[in-house]
Amino acid sequence: MTAHIPVSSADSPLGAHATKAAPVGDPLPFADPVHLAAHQWLVDETYLLDRQELEEWLARMTGDVHYYMPIRVTTSLGTGYDTARRMAHFDEDLYSLQRRVARLRTEHAWTEDPPSRLRHHLSNVRTFATDVPGEILVESAVLLFRSRGDVNEPSLISAGRSDVLRDVGGAWRLARRHIAVDESVLRTQNLAVFL
Amino acid sequence: MFDPSDVVDHVRNGMLPAHIYNDSEIFAAERDAIFSRSWVFLAHESEIPQVGDYVVRRVMENSFIVSRAGDGAVHAMFNMCLHRGMQVCRAEQGNASHFRCPYHGWSYRNDGRIVGLPFHREAYGGETGFSKRGQRLLPAPAMDTVNGMIFVSLDPEAPPLREFLGDFAFYLDYYTRQSPSGVEVLGPQRWRVKANWKIGAENFAGDMYHTPQTHASVVEIGLFREPKAEKRKDGATYWATSGGGTTYKLPPGTLEERLRYVGYPDEMVERMKGAWSAEQLDLIGRDGFMVSAASVFPNLSLVHNWPKVADSDDVLPFVSLRQWQPISENETEVLSWFLVDKEAPEEFKALSYKAYLMCFGSSGMFEQDDVENWVSLTATAAGTMARRLLLNGRMGMLPDGSTIAPALGGDEWAGPGESRIGYGEYNQRHLMNRWADLIEAGPARTAAVTVGTPGEDAAR
Repeated sequence: MTAHIPVSSADSPLGAHATKAAPVGDPLPFADPVHLAAHQWLVDETYLLDRQELEEWLARMTGDVHYYMPIRVTTSLGTGYDTARRMAHFDEDLYSLQRRVARLRTEHAWTEDPPSRLRHHLSNVRTFATDVPGEILVESAVLLFRSRGDVNEPSLISAGRSDVLRDVGGAWRLARRHIAVDESVLRTQNLAVFL
Repeated sequence: MFDPSDVVDHVRNGMLPAHIYNDSEIFAAERDAIFSRSWVFLAHESEIPQVGDYVVRRVMENSFIVSRAGDGAVHAMFNMCLHRGMQVCRAEQGNASHFRCPYHGWSYRNDGRIVGLPFHREAYGGETGFSKRGQRLLPAPAMDTVNGMIFVSLDPEAPPLREFLGDFAFYLDYYTRQSPSGVEVLGPQRWRVKANWKIGAENFAGDMYHTPQTHASVVEIGLFREPKAEKRKDGATYWATSGGGTTYKLPPGTLEERLRYVGYPDEMVERMKGAWSAEQLDLIGRDGFMVSAASVFPNLSLVHNWPKVADSDDVLPFVSLRQWQPISENETEVLSWFLVDKEAPEEFKALSYKAYLMCFGSSGMFEQDDVENWVSLTATAAGTMARRLLLNGRMGMLPDGSTIAPALGGDEWAGPGESRIGYGEYNQRHLMNRWADLIEAGPARTAAVTVGTPGEDAAR
């Protein structure tokens, strides 16, 4: 019996338009140019997020992106699910992500003024071919360290991610992100930050 | 030693000793005097629709299993094995006919009745040594429901829930009974913030004054068209028995036009007309008020808003229910649920969910800025300077105790309770006066419960 239950856009009320790409076969060898490109894509993304260069971050998404972070719940082994039914922390399309970024760009987004100091630690990257031409699936682990103010306790968010990158005219774009957050109860004051 | 008289007189005068928002003695008094007596929300029946479904929720640090037993009845039972005190359920939710303690294997049916006690005869001498007949996990001392919302009280002498809620039940229907079928409740999102639990309850109860400042950014980006300062103060606040809230003043129009203005489709409007009383409909159709945020004493809040969820002029309404679960004097766990009418069209349910996520909850754009403020307030309230400062919570009240805004008459406000137009901290004072009354009353008396041993009365 495995404890791993993958996140699925099919569980989201807003996920019908998301790509249904599924991984095929073993992970690509680490020397594979596709894996290397995917890994670099994710590393470059951490710098954009840490520096809150969010317009550039949005430019790396496809128009039909599904950015989805369901709520994890504690269930007995074998229950068959470990996310809350039809509820999430993030369930975003490009429009709602753009609104979130636009808000942070106003002079009145108090929660990020002063800004958090962010560091996305990225690891455990592996890449798969998928059953959709032009789309690859990249799994990774991310640990977000967030510090606010001078003496507030920092917060950590640990998550696994499963991303679908689509080849759009020779450039990789994020078409789907599934975020499996590792805590049921988040220990951060809000999600005014992205994973 | 904590002396309630140091704080309650100030609170009743509308002056808030700042340290009550970060004080371990006050927090202990709240646990013993407020959360040992009050009705506290645990779950909604729609979260456990099938026989065997359960969720585990808390009142302060007390863990309760809320389950639906074989006969369909809902039970709330203390999640502690009668033998050595293990949690008999360590999941947050699921479906089970029984709960078995992993420590020594005692097992309980999902209505709490004990059914398995290994080596009962050899270890205890059977019924003589431990009478398991009729024994069950400790039930919540009192449990009651309204509109499918399951509340418990740790006080077995608590008044009936309906009596406790009183006239607030009139307003609760706008959030939780938009059709005869009621709502389905999804979530909760749970996260912990370094803020005192009272701040959120006070804010949702009546703070229309913060909206134009705290939430300026969501207006600037076009998410919400309402909270401009000049519009927010046209709304009214109301207080009714144990709860109160804020409203927006809607543009002129009929009942149907006004419900459509906040984004309800015609078929939902028709069901509201069938579900609500003439007075409930008049508050919208005749008086032009639409409920927004609200709080029920001590720590339950509701919110109803209508943002834009796509690049168009259409707005979509959503309802959220949330609990400010006290963790310590400076930490609160927020449990935030999304509510939607069971009979709403599927497309409405999906977009209302999207509206909720964009506005409230762990990632919500309104909520983000609220919490930043509340964390800051709580941190500052810890020091000795905060013990000197009495915060001014007297908005809307003149030195002689009279109010700036007159109470609305029956021809202006069709609902029960006391309502006034414009900015004022009337509701926060109602909430905190109730707080002061219970703090002053002191710890609730509790009786010990013994299980399984005959003759316990003689032993005392």
